[in-house]
Amino acid sequence: MGYLRRLPRFDYLAPRTVDEACSALAERRGDARLFAGGTDLVLQMKRREITPRAIIGLKGVASLSVIRSQAGGIAIGAMTTFGAIESSPLIREKHDFLCETAAGIGSPEIRAVATVGGNLSGALPCADFPAPLMTLGAIVRLRSVRGERALALEDFFMGFAETAAAPDEILTEIELPSRPGFSAGAYVKFHDRHAMDMTTTGVAAFVTWDRARGLIGDVRIALSVSGPVPLRVKNAEAALRGRRLTEEALVEAGLLACREAQPRASWRAREEFRRELIGVLTQRALRQAGEKARVAAERGNA
Amino acid sequence: MTVQACGDYAIIGKPAPKKDAWIKVTGEAKYADDLFLAGMLHGKLLRSPHPHAKISHIDTSRAEKLAGVRAVITGKDFPGIKYGNMPQTRDYLPLALDKVRYIGDEVAAVAAIDEEVAEEALDLIRVEYEPLPAVFDAEEAMKPGAPQLHDHAANNMSAETAFQFGDVAKGFAESDYLQEDLFETQPVKQGMLEPHACIGQWDETGKITLWASKQSPYVVWKQLSMGLGIETSRIRVIQTYVGGGFSGGKQEAMPMDFCAVVLSKKCGRPVKFVHNMDEVLTIGHMRHPMKIWLRTGVKKDGTLLAQHLKIVADGGAYSSIGQLSMYLPGAMLNLPYRVPNVKYEAYRIFTNNGFCGALRGHTIPQVCFARDSQLDLIAEKLGLDPIDIRLKNGLRPGETTPNGFRIGTFGFAECVEKAMEASGWKEKRGKLPRYRGIGMGCGSLVSGARVMGHSASTAQVNVHEDGTVALVTGSTDVGQGADTVLSMIAAEVLGVGLEDIRFSLVDTDITPADPGTFSSRVTFWTGNAVKIAAEDARRQLAEIAAEKLKAQIDDDIVFRDRQVYVKSDPQRRLRFDELVRLAQHRQGKVIMGKGAYTSGEALIDFRTGYGNMSPAYTPSACVVEVEVDPQTGQVTVAGVWGAHDCGFPLNPMLVKGQVLGATVMGIGQALYENLLRVDGKVMNPSFRDYKMPLTEDMPRLANVGHVNVITNDPSGPFGAKEAGEGAAAGVIAAVANAVYNATGVRFRSLPFSPDKILFALKESDRKAPAR
Ligand SMILES: Cc1cc2nc3c(=O)[nH]c(=O)nc-3n(C[C@H](O)[C@H](O)[C@H](O)COP(=O)(O)OP(=O)(O)OC[C@H]3O[C@@H](n4cnc5c(N)ncnc54)[C@H](O)[C@@H]3O)c2cc1C
Repeated sequence: MGYLRRLPRFDYLAPRTVDEACSALAERRGDARLFAGGTDLVLQMKRREITPRAIIGLKGVASLSVIRSQAGGIAIGAMTTFGAIESSPLIREKHDFLCETAAGIGSPEIRAVATVGGNLSGALPCADFPAPLMTLGAIVRLRSVRGERALALEDFFMGFAETAAAPDEILTEIELPSRPGFSAGAYVKFHDRHAMDMTTTGVAAFVTWDRARGLIGDVRIALSVSGPVPLRVKNAEAALRGRRLTEEALVEAGLLACREAQPRASWRAREEFRRELIGVLTQRALRQAGEKARVAAERGNA
Repeated sequence: MTVQACGDYAIIGKPAPKKDAWIKVTGEAKYADDLFLAGMLHGKLLRSPHPHAKISHIDTSRAEKLAGVRAVITGKDFPGIKYGNMPQTRDYLPLALDKVRYIGDEVAAVAAIDEEVAEEALDLIRVEYEPLPAVFDAEEAMKPGAPQLHDHAANNMSAETAFQFGDVAKGFAESDYLQEDLFETQPVKQGMLEPHACIGQWDETGKITLWASKQSPYVVWKQLSMGLGIETSRIRVIQTYVGGGFSGGKQEAMPMDFCAVVLSKKCGRPVKFVHNMDEVLTIGHMRHPMKIWLRTGVKKDGTLLAQHLKIVADGGAYSSIGQLSMYLPGAMLNLPYRVPNVKYEAYRIFTNNGFCGALRGHTIPQVCFARDSQLDLIAEKLGLDPIDIRLKNGLRPGETTPNGFRIGTFGFAECVEKAMEASGWKEKRGKLPRYRGIGMGCGSLVSGARVMGHSASTAQVNVHEDGTVALVTGSTDVGQGADTVLSMIAAEVLGVGLEDIRFSLVDTDITPADPGTFSSRVTFWTGNAVKIAAEDARRQLAEIAAEKLKAQIDDDIVFRDRQVYVKSDPQRRLRFDELVRLAQHRQGKVIMGKGAYTSGEALIDFRTGYGNMSPAYTPSACVVEVEVDPQTGQVTVAGVWGAHDCGFPLNPMLVKGQVLGATVMGIGQALYENLLRVDGKVMNPSFRDYKMPLTEDMPRLANVGHVNVITNDPSGPFGAKEAGEGAAAGVIAAVANAVYNATGVRFRSLPFSPDKILFALKESDRKAPAR
């Protein structure tokens, strides 16, 4: 039965470069798994949900944990830990709410090893990081022996634990376009305990302020744990564009978000409870992001 | 009641860190899993995947053939003797014989060269089950036609208690107001961080040794003897450091212990077992979930006249100490309030869930939750202050309760007042903003219970020539600080330093017999035994000192600061170690003190429920302040303040640690913890999903307060009473009352989860939108 077991036997491969990792993955196609921080993978292996014959450890691939500025934005290596995101001056400067989101994941021990690449590639419904990245228009870079391609993060999630990456592809980088002027993001999540808990539901919002008219310019809202995959709620977004940031507008957006979401019932939480929270958290995330963007516009701090 | 420290102590009453703190934080302390014996094998248990099934056949042949496997055993490798705590509750078998009764029931065991092989072997054991209909709800299980778990227990009745003191009908008839409520509590686990672990060895001579993490090693010793059908003289249990007990199985012999020794017999090698945390959280021993119906009759002024309490408890698949579990709620309804007429009925029902037993406070926190929630309901109905109704009904020293508890020291009123003061109750109650609230809950506990069987404690004090002392008791330190407090008692009496006392772990071949660590008995009972033993040793030394110092023994030889001197002429003195050497080397004396303590009370008669269970009772009061997020239903505990009458705090640092620990457990049960089961399967067997509160869930330290109420109990060692469990008793009701105060919604079912609160708030807004 489902008790946690000792780890099954496997070969351990330790590539030093992305190319080596891609070759290893191609060679052991089908029976190899990439190992980033292992915080999801080890549990899945102990539960025997997956039993790969080979584990390809990415820790030795230094180029994968770089956070850098590039033309048109920044790029975050897939092996970047949440601890590193939390304390990155570059990310703080460009998208400070990502630092806060990272700081709210697990415990310091988990953040020291868990990576952003693992959080996205695992494609578990309870992952926190996809939604905030989606609101920023993130692009993921995938590499394999066949070459490289880029994909909008929005098109990356296919289903429970399923992504658009082929079995021989490695997620190498997440690219974030430059932040428009007078914009801000927020991620608000709920769990029973005040920290170190599985997210019951979470909402990310990114608001760009229309300085000239004093209205919400652009807005993107994405939900975590509110369906099988992270989800943009486009009706709610559309309803807000060009509106004033009023309680009424927020309530309306919350209702629309609830309607677009497909939360499931599980022993962890009832569907009705998740739905109720989506409405509330959507309002809170929008209020936080919207206020921040508005204040930035009023102060003229792009 | 006087509030002053008794005597001028050198050691007692001063904060001292735990003696074993250093070796524990450095990782030096050897827990059972840290022990390795030469040639040791590793064991694993095969557990039932069915909640209820007949075992028609077990085939172990494939597992036995796996390379690295040394032996496989099933229930047939044991004599088939049921063991347990009390004669009427013996229903455990080391491994199931013909039937499994819950998901997790032990069916077979393997010993192999490592854990991997042992696990692999479990997959190769073929068990043919015939699934039986199962029942997971206690009330369903009581109905005629429900699946029956045990042949001996008709209607799945595991334990039944009924008693009445006074005349409840008359009490209700004379009441101005009757309040009736139904409360419900959830299954909660101990949450100890160290899983169960043991090493068993059956040597060539037939001697059985078990090294194990046990809080009551002598109970294990007796139960091993019982279940194996082997005399105790051939069994030796050696206690290892215990990483938390809370009666989560470490007070008994468990299947792993039996399997370790029997596998060792088969293999000729020691065998180690360590549970995984998911096994710990799945198998037995948890707090009883209960339906609690309580009816209370009061006069207009709030005077309690009568209470009728009915409990249906889901006992799970086995008895544990069910009889006691069912006696306690009714008995403890007599404390801390004066209720002249009490009627009690309780049913512990077998179901196909993991089984229940004791957990810090046993079954007392559940009734305190119900009773102290209801007191607030009554106070509100009658327009009384919740504090006044408590003070009005609080028992006073010298009273005897209807069920025969003789109340000695009992600083209940002071507890209530101190908790109020510390929390700023008067400034806050009724003046906090909406969704912020403050509430009080009270409780009471025993200082050790004198129940059936063994309840006395004994101690030996061996004084060594270097002036140090080996203190030998049968009690265990489970993290609560027994090693330190018992050592402090010996050090105080002998006038030596705390660091001069060595406290030994229990070894049934060497240490004196003792029932173990439970029901907050160790400081009181073993502490008294230690004090008597130390005084005995001191008397022996005083005689020699008097001769040497040419003093009358009656002159009062003083032992202090490692010196021994004549009170009337302190210049006449000797060093303590010199005196010991004089006694041992010159006079050939063995300085060994002996002490025993038993409270001298008659046993409780479970049939009538009458009798004085404990030599001393402790009241406590707790105030909790909460903030409720009306949009998510999440409760944030903004502050907790408690006052507790521990008689006299022998070591205030440890008392504070105990009280706060108990309080946190109470908050955990109130807001977070819940062992979720779907058709008997535990859904959350990990500390990620079984949610105990974490530091982030606790108030800032500035909003945490603890006050000792000092009553100097004349029968406790240096005035001390219980401090380990009582403080938890009132916490849950305090949270319930605070949430009510914050929201105007009363919650009667635990835990107060965000979902429950959010939807109840919506419902109440619908009913009364303009609150
Ligand atoms: C106690 C605890 C608390 C947690 N709290 C949170 C929380 O608050 N929020 C949250 O979102 N998550 C939480 N998690 C889950 C987990 O830590 C995160 O999902 C984490 O980001 C996973 O990253 P990892 O580096 O550990 O991935 P791994 O476990 O190493 O990998 C996960 C999956 O991704 C694949 N993979 C990894 N890297 C790549 C790559 N570069 N390319 C392609 N595939 C790849 C792996 O093969 C595997 O299938 C928690 C986990 C634990 C144990």
